[in-house]
Amino acid sequence: MNDEELLDAFGGVRIDHDNAAYHRGLLERRLLINRCDSCAAWHHPPRSVCPRCWSRSITPTDVAGDGFLALITILRQGPPQPGVDYAAGHALVAVELDEQPGLRIAGTVVGAPAEQLRVGDRVRLLWRDLPGRLPRPDFEVVR
Amino acid sequence: MSATGTRGAARNPARDQVAIVGIGRSPYSRDRAGCTPGSLVLDACIAAARDAGLGATDIDGICGSMVAAQYVQAALGIPAVSWFANPQAVIGNQLVAAVAAVHSGMCDVALVYHHAYRLPWASRSAAQDPMRRRATLGVADARSWYGTGHVDTGPNSMFGANAYAAWAGRYLHDHGYTREALGRVALNSRTNAAANPNAVYREPLTMDAYLAGRMVRDPLSVYDMDIPVDAADAFIVTTTERARDLPRPPVLVHAATLGHTDYGSEEQLRDLDHAGQVVVTRKLWAKSELTLADVDVFFPYEGFSNIALAWFENVGYCGRGEGGAFVAQHWVEAEQRIVIDGRIPVNTHGGSLSEGGTQGAGHLYEACLQLRGEAGPRQVPGAEVALVTPGGYYFNSQGFLLRADR
Ligand SMILES: [Zn+2]
Repeated sequence: MNDEELLDAFGGVRIDHDNAAYHRGLLERRLLINRCDSCAAWHHPPRSVCPRCWSRSITPTDVAGDGFLALITILRQGPPQPGVDYAAGHALVAVELDEQPGLRIAGTVVGAPAEQLRVGDRVRLLWRDLPGRLPRPDFEVVR
Repeated sequence: MSATGTRGAARNPARDQVAIVGIGRSPYSRDRAGCTPGSLVLDACIAAARDAGLGATDIDGICGSMVAAQYVQAALGIPAVSWFANPQAVIGNQLVAAVAAVHSGMCDVALVYHHAYRLPWASRSAAQDPMRRRATLGVADARSWYGTGHVDTGPNSMFGANAYAAWAGRYLHDHGYTREALGRVALNSRTNAAANPNAVYREPLTMDAYLAGRMVRDPLSVYDMDIPVDAADAFIVTTTERARDLPRPPVLVHAATLGHTDYGSEEQLRDLDHAGQVVVTRKLWAKSELTLADVDVFFPYEGFSNIALAWFENVGYCGRGEGGAFVAQHWVEAEQRIVIDGRIPVNTHGGSLSEGGTQGAGHLYEACLQLRGEAGPRQVPGAEVALVTPGGYYFNSQGFLLRADR
């Protein structure tokens, strides 16, 4: 996929040379997080250098998508978006990935009422195609 | 030295050398017609200059937030400035820049300002003004300031208010609080606002009413989030030496600092021990011989109620996670407000939750009134030292120790 096609696939998102690989990954149902080739540290959002060692040798690398809920809020209002039901309460969470403490991905949790979510709940990655919504990672609780 | 630490004393050559000599505002309103961001700022700037006894030819520095310095200069006919800047909001960024500029000689008299403007999607009455639909035409949004980490916005992004709500939930979870801990911050602001004619919400708020408030972003309800207003505040900053020749009592900037840590976006903040507030408070106390015991009135920013609880902790009134308990311990039930140790009131003007949301500028304005002895029925008797902490967890934590010139 060339750059023009990537921009078309993510209308309204500020795609640039630093985050293109992340977004290409989403189109392939891959969660690609930047990892340093020199010191193995992960970072997100994607940058051109490693914040730990300043290496410019960075590889967008698949993560398993397993982790726990570190932050939770329930949105009761906001801009309309496919798959978002404010009346029922839209769960917005930050998932802390197992790959590295503090490495978090924002998203939503499906399959459980938002009110039942608790900090520390284990979750895993879930890919959904929603008509009209840009590709993005979702999560589900592991019981 | 910890990652966010500042050990021992810190340099502070500007200590007490720069003063706020004029304050002005465009009164806070929830339903003002016919105004623009520019007109609000100009009204506040004119009021501040007149308060200081100065005119256009006396001002040689301009520093504002979202209205361009060049606009203000031309609109007010300020013939020449040798320094100007438009740092990111909130007000502490403008004030520290102006203090540094005056102290270093980049300018002698700086005009500082910040405004708030109701947007149609944040206010029902604002939605009735068709021109406000274009108020943000061409204005930066979360995607356009390069580097905050947000390349998209919306209900799956931990941006701004969403992130404050999520961290509020984490705070309640980690420390075992219920929403009453947040509610006391909101009630304190409302109680104090009753004595402030500039406040937009002055009717009493009970805890029952707070708890029944409409949830917007759990655990934050309408009562936990700042009130959209049309408003502006402005300040005139000059040397303390010159201040003593001007008509108003000088408010000395004793210590001032910003603070930030190394996370890429709000959800990546490691925890509240690694937020900018921690950097601010360590640096602030390191720059001052004053201590918490010297503070007569405290202005912790509460644009989201949970922010204030973290400020109580970070300035040193209590430890991490104890802010909610501290506020409960210092809650005066008969007055329905916080009075620390029976002596130190908090956000005497009603804060962003009841006076109106101006991102800390209102807190700074009220601190100046208190130190000038001009706060009327809200006056803290003999107030000499104010602690003002604008900003939240991310990108804009700021702190000031201000003194009366006595
Ligand atoms: Zn590295």
